[in-house]
Amino acid sequence: MGIRYIKEAGLTDPVMIAAWPGIGNIGLIALDTLRRSLRAEQMAYIEPYEFFYPKKVIIRGGELVELDFPTSDFFYHRSGRRDLILFIGEEQPAEGGGVYATGSMAYGMANLVLDVAEKYGCRRIYTSGAAVAPMHHTARSRAWAVPNAANLIAEFKGYDNTVLMSDIEGRGGEGNIAGLNGLLLGIARRRGIDAVCLMGEIPVYLQGFPFPYPKGSKSVLEVLSMALDMWIDMEVIDELARQSESELTRLYEKLPDEIKQQLDRLKDSTVAAAESEDLITEDDKKKILDDVDKFFKHDGGGEQH
Amino acid sequence: MTGEQTIRLSGDADLKGSVLIVAWAEDASSLGVQTADYLIQSLGCREFGEILPEGFFPMGGVNVVDDIARFPESRLYICDNSKLIIFKSTIPRMGWYRFLTSLLDVAQQDCAVKEIYTLGAMISTAAHTVPRLLISIVNNREIKAALEPYNVMADNDYETPPGQKPTLSSYLAWLAGQRGIPAVNLWVPVPYYLVPVSDPRSVKRLVYFFNSKYNLGVDFTALDTVIAGQNNQIARLFEQSPEIKNMVRKLEVGEALDGAESERLAREIAEALK
Repeated sequence: MGIRYIKEAGLTDPVMIAAWPGIGNIGLIALDTLRRSLRAEQMAYIEPYEFFYPKKVIIRGGELVELDFPTSDFFYHRSGRRDLILFIGEEQPAEGGGVYATGSMAYGMANLVLDVAEKYGCRRIYTSGAAVAPMHHTARSRAWAVPNAANLIAEFKGYDNTVLMSDIEGRGGEGNIAGLNGLLLGIARRRGIDAVCLMGEIPVYLQGFPFPYPKGSKSVLEVLSMALDMWIDMEVIDELARQSESELTRLYEKLPDEIKQQLDRLKDSTVAAAESEDLITEDDKKKILDDVDKFFKHDGGGEQH
Repeated sequence: MTGEQTIRLSGDADLKGSVLIVAWAEDASSLGVQTADYLIQSLGCREFGEILPEGFFPMGGVNVVDDIARFPESRLYICDNSKLIIFKSTIPRMGWYRFLTSLLDVAQQDCAVKEIYTLGAMISTAAHTVPRLLISIVNNREIKAALEPYNVMADNDYETPPGQKPTLSSYLAWLAGQRGIPAVNLWVPVPYYLVPVSDPRSVKRLVYFFNSKYNLGVDFTALDTVIAGQNNQIARLFEQSPEIKNMVRKLEVGEALDGAESERLAREIAEALK
């Protein structure tokens, strides 16, 4: 029970990038886009049985022919200069049935991922998720970078469109990264491996909805491109982002004027947040979330996807 | 789990070549457990072990049902004369793989079971007067062929719809298949308006199947008495309410009831059978 290797990939100085589902599936979309553009090949997987309940049964002619479990797959890409290991988890193993990993299963999963990282000599690991931000969906998402060691801060301060927790107004450099994207950073530190979580921004009013948010994923890919000193083809993610924004704008136009006016106040909030304390307050934020939630779940229920 | 032991077995028995029947407590009309209880009582089965609850249930207190505090139970019974093993259990809330493999370890290593059956109810819009179907899902073709003489529907196609999960019975059958143990999920469609109460006809359909296949010599008298009692109660309701009788007649000929009718039928049948 544990890791199953499909092929032994001879890798040079690899970096691992890992992602699981979360808000807006930002990390998952970023990594899956990268996997496809690099045509990364599967090298291993984590056996699902200890971690997941099956997700689908297929019965044909009265015979149980297949039982599918959520996948936890490792892929590799050899560039000749800096090789990559990509880990994509289809679900987080959550003991309480939630979205984010918790408990001993989460710890076990994180350690198995790091076992592969250590086996191939990865000296750095990236995880990727979402940063819920008081922003508008027409704005460019930034990437929040959270490293697991102080010596990594300077590097990420130098990247375009990238912020640290201390750059976010009102946070004082503090916060929380839920689930395996965060847990992996902590356990990697215990094993002496540098790790950074890159979180693409998603508008606060979209956090509760099952919409993917590829604009946030693009911000993660942009940082990865700089950090890995590697060209990443953005054509696919740009198209996904265009489609997403077009769909969100279509839904946005159907919102009642009062809610739209509140959300429009977010258009400049990311840029101005450091200078203006009263642009959007916590009370405003709560009211916006309540109103949008009410609209989509009740008044505009027919439009929910 | 804080300890390694998940199973407690007691006593000795000649278990080799047994058939394992699995019933889950959370089943529509309690069909699985009522069937298991009837077999246990009729065949004089005795308890011989349990899967311990730690690691499979949250242990955050107890549920109170019908005024009684209930604790999860997962008990094994052996019927010495008929080589049946019956497992009655609350559905675990976590650690499903470990739970099912613990059960299969006992089935394989201690009992050398030759077949596994799970029992379950499906909710149906058919009337209670219609003969009960028995539907099977198998984990290999040989056991499917072995069911042919027993009037079992065995040709269904199904895929778990988005947003739903497979049943624990499917999971058990699949894991059994990985070990080469033939397994069958038996399903009986239960009229929806009997789901909150009980459906002794469905119990009889399952008991009849096992009695026929394994020559158990089950006495059906007690079950027939329960069925007759339920028939009488429903007949009295029909006398008092021709509208209810008409709703059941519509279901008998395959006509659909509207929402209000469906709700009223379920409510009045449940009250009549209390």
